[in-house]
Amino acid sequence: MIDQDTTTMHVDAGWQPLPPRAASLLMLGHAALFALPLALGLLVLVTALGLRMPLATGGVGLLLGLGAGAWYGRKVYRATFWRLDADGFALRRGRLWQRETRVPASRVQHLDLRHGPLERRWRLATLVVHTAGSRFSTVTVSGLDAADAERLRDRLARQLDDDDDA
Amino acid sequence: MMTTPEPSAAPAAAAATSPERRLHPWSWLFVLLQQLRQFVVPLVAAFFFGGNRNELWPLIGVAVLAVTSLLQYFTYRYRVGDGILSIRSGWLHRSRREIPFARIHNVAVQQTLLHRLFDVAELRLESAGGQKPEAQMRVLRLDDALALERLIRHRGAAATPGPADVAVDDRVLLALPTAEVLRLGLVSNRGLLLLGGAAAAVSQVRPRLLPNLFESWGETLFGWAGSHHFGWAQYALAAASLALAFVVLLRALSIASALLQYHGFRLSEHGRRLTVERGLLARLRTSASRRRLQAWTLHEGVLHRLFRRRSLHVDSAAGAQGEHAQRTLRELAPIATPQSCDALIEHLLPRDAGWHALHWQPLDVRAWWRLWLPGLVVPAALAVALVWRFGAWGLLVLAWLPWSAFAAHRHLRHAGYALGPALVAVREGWWSRHWRFAEIDKLQALRLSRSPLDRRCGTATLWLDTAGAGPLSPPLRIRFLPEAAAQALYAQLAHALARRPLRW
Repeated sequence: MIDQDTTTMHVDAGWQPLPPRAASLLMLGHAALFALPLALGLLVLVTALGLRMPLATGGVGLLLGLGAGAWYGRKVYRATFWRLDADGFALRRGRLWQRETRVPASRVQHLDLRHGPLERRWRLATLVVHTAGSRFSTVTVSGLDAADAERLRDRLARQLDDDDDA
Repeated sequence: MMTTPEPSAAPAAAAATSPERRLHPWSWLFVLLQQLRQFVVPLVAAFFFGGNRNELWPLIGVAVLAVTSLLQYFTYRYRVGDGILSIRSGWLHRSRREIPFARIHNVAVQQTLLHRLFDVAELRLESAGGQKPEAQMRVLRLDDALALERLIRHRGAAATPGPADVAVDDRVLLALPTAEVLRLGLVSNRGLLLLGGAAAAVSQVRPRLLPNLFESWGETLFGWAGSHHFGWAQYALAAASLALAFVVLLRALSIASALLQYHGFRLSEHGRRLTVERGLLARLRTSASRRRLQAWTLHEGVLHRLFRRRSLHVDSAAGAQGEHAQRTLRELAPIATPQSCDALIEHLLPRDAGWHALHWQPLDVRAWWRLWLPGLVVPAALAVALVWRFGAWGLLVLAWLPWSAFAAHRHLRHAGYALGPALVAVREGWWSRHWRFAEIDKLQALRLSRSPLDRRCGTATLWLDTAGAGPLSPPLRIRFLPEAAAQALYAQLAHALARRPLRW
């Protein structure tokens, strides 16, 4: 597996963490995900039960959700690692429930690279690896360094070209 | 009848210069009927139950549909080229589609009773992935459909060079006589599905019909019983006979449904393609290439064991998730003896797979409590609720637990996995057993997962992903593996997969 890319990226550089900038993205994302439902849920509950100060309770829920989301996002950031080696791409996730998913390079069907507005600002990207499988047919990694993501895409896609398209 | 097509492929076989052809002249009628089918139940219901007879607007809709069906007929042309099928369709929005034969994974020829009266058939061509078929030709003359199917089978085989191309004649691998189909009906739970479907359909159209029926039926029954003052023995007898009648009814429905769907089931092999034909009134004939088969499931339920039978299913990558899932080739043997199932597997897997020679590894039986644990929740909750309501008698529910512990223990005793040179297999279950296996070439992705409990016990679960696995098919996974063994297996498989190109 020797090609011109080995100068910029080793074939197997071991398990790579996400760049520190991704922590902010994941914290923000999870904070938004947690806070809004919690605030709305509390608001509706308090109003339905006829208790006092529904807005204040909703506000507390919002703050709680923001805090919990940020905490969880940070945990997700610290538990996510990816790896590209001679066999293909691997993604390790979770600390309590650990999952390591491996997509051999020969099984990659196609790849998506996504840049959201915030991701563009922080030079991050989301890589989606598609296989022909059923349960794990898409493997999504968000918060990758944009340059890393592009190199990953190029390397995995090159494998595709090597395959014949008979 | 849709029996073996004679080599009358001559008209379609004329190569690239073959003229454009149309569908069958009556095809617009079938398109119309197909479109009407979704309206027919409401229409009939409105007619019989609606009362208001002067609603003519549905007829306008029918007229519009008829015109579009006719338009569709007049604009749909197809041409058989050299290894390619091109289809032109549309009037305002025109489309032209070129489908290479080599890309077609599944060919299905379907004939309903009405189709058979007109001697026509519906042809459906499917490629891998994708929810919709590549082409759906509704309808062709039966011999045209069979000729086209035959042509695709031949060209498809010729386009992918291989050693097995020389075999020409159809070879029957499995044929089910009526007795076997009856057994299939007895074993399966189709009746329950049918009943459920019927109840759902009825409650769609008339929501109050079923509850009212049950209410009046119950009132009559209890009124009658109340006026006779039976003892508890008579009540028990009545309940038992009612339950028995229900079971008999369900089985009768199952048998009827099995007869309708599986009468004349025949699995045959033609070169590298497999063909399944079945059906009593509506005939279905579907064929797929042998190497397109993905993961396999061999199943043996309690009733299967009673009759000494098993069933063999296979996932195929084409259209597996769509609404027409039942039309793709899934059932290699709806019911067959264990020996003939094994023979089929041996025959259809590549030669080096070695299904018979697999070296099965048992799982650690000491992990039985981990199978048992998730099952504790419901009885425990039920016991709490019953104790709260009835007092100490509610604790009787907990008598279930020793049994479930025993079942978990037996389950693990039977469970195991095997890794051959070209095959990976998992077996699970005790009462109802299954074997799930796939060629290593057909694996798509791997996952190693560890729950908190796994980490405490030093174990891990290895998941293997294949294409075309339905949500209901059992997963290909090895549970309760010692972590070192799981890691080794994971690394070994990942390495092997990276070396082997994906072959559809």
